[in-house]
Amino acid sequence: MVWGFFIFPSEITFAQQPDSSAVQDSLLAALQKEMASFAEPDGQAQSGRTAARLVPTRNPDISVIGDIRAGYRSDGERNVDLGVEEIELALKSVIDPYARADVYLSMASEDGEIKFELEEAFITTMSLPHTLQLKAGKFRNTVGKINLIHPHALPFVTMPAVYTNFLGDEGLNDQGVSLSWLVPNGSFYQELTFEITRGPDESPSFSTDDGNRLLYTGHLKNFWDLSENSTFELGLTGINGPNDLGLTSTLAGFDITYKWKPVRYNRYKSFTLQAETFFSFRSTDSGRINSMGLYALASYQLAERWMLLARYDHSDLPDDPDWNENGVSSTLGWLLTEFQKVEFGVRRSWGDKIETSYAGVVRVVFVIGTHGAHQY
Amino acid sequence: MIYDFSRVLAIVVLSVSFASSVRAQNKLNVVTTLPDLESIVYSVGGDLVEVTSIATGYQNPHFVDPKPSFIMRLTRADMFVTVGLDLETGWVPSLLNSARNPDITPGSEGYVDTSINIPLLDVPSSVSREQGDIHVFGNPHYWLDPENGKIMAETIRDALVRLQPESATLFDSNLESFLTQIDIKIEEWNAEMKPYKGQRLIAYHNQWPYLEAAFGVIAIDFLEPKPGIPPTPSQLAKIISLMKQESLSTIIIAPYFRTDSADLVARNVSGNVVILAASVGAFSEIKTYFDLFDYNIARLKEAFDSPGS
Repeated sequence: MVWGFFIFPSEITFAQQPDSSAVQDSLLAALQKEMASFAEPDGQAQSGRTAARLVPTRNPDISVIGDIRAGYRSDGERNVDLGVEEIELALKSVIDPYARADVYLSMASEDGEIKFELEEAFITTMSLPHTLQLKAGKFRNTVGKINLIHPHALPFVTMPAVYTNFLGDEGLNDQGVSLSWLVPNGSFYQELTFEITRGPDESPSFSTDDGNRLLYTGHLKNFWDLSENSTFELGLTGINGPNDLGLTSTLAGFDITYKWKPVRYNRYKSFTLQAETFFSFRSTDSGRINSMGLYALASYQLAERWMLLARYDHSDLPDDPDWNENGVSSTLGWLLTEFQKVEFGVRRSWGDKIETSYAGVVRVVFVIGTHGAHQY
Repeated sequence: MIYDFSRVLAIVVLSVSFASSVRAQNKLNVVTTLPDLESIVYSVGGDLVEVTSIATGYQNPHFVDPKPSFIMRLTRADMFVTVGLDLETGWVPSLLNSARNPDITPGSEGYVDTSINIPLLDVPSSVSREQGDIHVFGNPHYWLDPENGKIMAETIRDALVRLQPESATLFDSNLESFLTQIDIKIEEWNAEMKPYKGQRLIAYHNQWPYLEAAFGVIAIDFLEPKPGIPPTPSQLAKIISLMKQESLSTIIIAPYFRTDSADLVARNVSGNVVILAASVGAFSEIKTYFDLFDYNIARLKEAFDSPGS
């Protein structure tokens, strides 16, 4: 499988050679149209050169992220819906030379009603020795490849079924402590994370225990630069904790990501292959239930502002290995600037126990305020 | 005999490894954001530093991907050198947060922002993203003026002395020879560019104001309608009219932008597209900070001497 990845980039490079004549012809047509209606040029140089420097402040970095949607689904009573999916307020700052704090407040729609939620709020150390980092508070657990990413920042409109069926509608988000360590192995990036959390309120696999039992999450991230333009990541996840029966559930996960992004033209071209699988072992009074789920996606950047993604989902339910939900979905992303994107998503779902259904969503995501971090 | 031989060998191996470990300990491990900074750090630090750059010279410094492999380098660094302002705002904060290295976080001795003491251009009087992706502190591409390179070298010398005071005399003398050398080169470059003073051109992105100020050329408009917004047909039409009206023939562009739109405009005005180096390493022959100006001046002269080639 890995060798397949090695062969891919060269093919992509050929496929990606810009067809400059076609681009230029279409551009030329639009240009001629513009020029016809064009009279006097306005030859002013951009922006004056003034000398006022901005005054720094001690306010935290503040940003507001909005996710506004309109959607159609073929199943259920109400087939069309539209409105605000989520407004997120992010506040981040260094506290002192020793730690930083991140707070994310979420106002999310639940069937049209906007509900306030503390999405994340944690303190992170900045000066522990031996490349250790400690995080405490409420945070997204370090699970797989996408659990750490807020839904509006994901390149697709709906979460993979394996995430919603095993971890929760927006993944696993719990309260407690997280300790991570950059393993000094000298040759490649390796990060080991161990988390102890109280147990989530809402999750299909895990619950808050009535007694003293807690949820344990472990993750090992391995990352290699294959070349200047391509990278490869392997991750292992294990979660163990109480389930809603008061017994124990265990999830084991495996994620694999290949990314090609040419350094010189990284604004124009990229290609990603990513897959994750989870195996669930759930204890019940009548014995152990084993179930699994997975997704695999390919994402291809068509042009500077256009991203096309296709994904396949397959998932059981933690308490029903015969549930067998399947889905194929595609998202076309139009990335206007770093601060705004419009995404068009379509999805077909089917399974032995569920009716085949279709859904389509258009969403606009915007960011105002502090410049966010780029993702890799 | 064999016993003696192995003992000698052991001593040699031990002393060599000891010597190299001492050397490795003495060498300051410096990581820079851009190769331009890498080149200047090497000029001032010489053999006492081990310096690498995160970005390459042919990539857009606003959009470097924060790969985890960069975190490993920062974790071991003694010193981190950044262009600052808001050039690297999309990727440096997240890398530094993940690096867990208190020696190089902002405010610590190993954190070096070379924008200090630089006279900035294009400082906006108001800030709104309606104006596109403008730089709130002023244009951050200041390393493209060799006079600023001198200020950067002094800032870097100060930081190296702070971290390794025992080598101050060496850093001082390295700085002196860098300054002498660059002053000689600046005279050469000025002489070369003198006939072209006041030459006007078009740029793809507003990233050359310092190069313009240094050598007296003027970018009067840009293919991007607003910074960071890709060229639109109406903007290209405007530029074509402008270039015809003003008899301009040169469009300058950095290597990491697609040249489709610039080529199209050039064809319409019988002009030429000149790919200038925005950083050291943009092309394989540009190995040092000096080469950067040698290269760009050669390209500009070619363009001005043979308009419409």
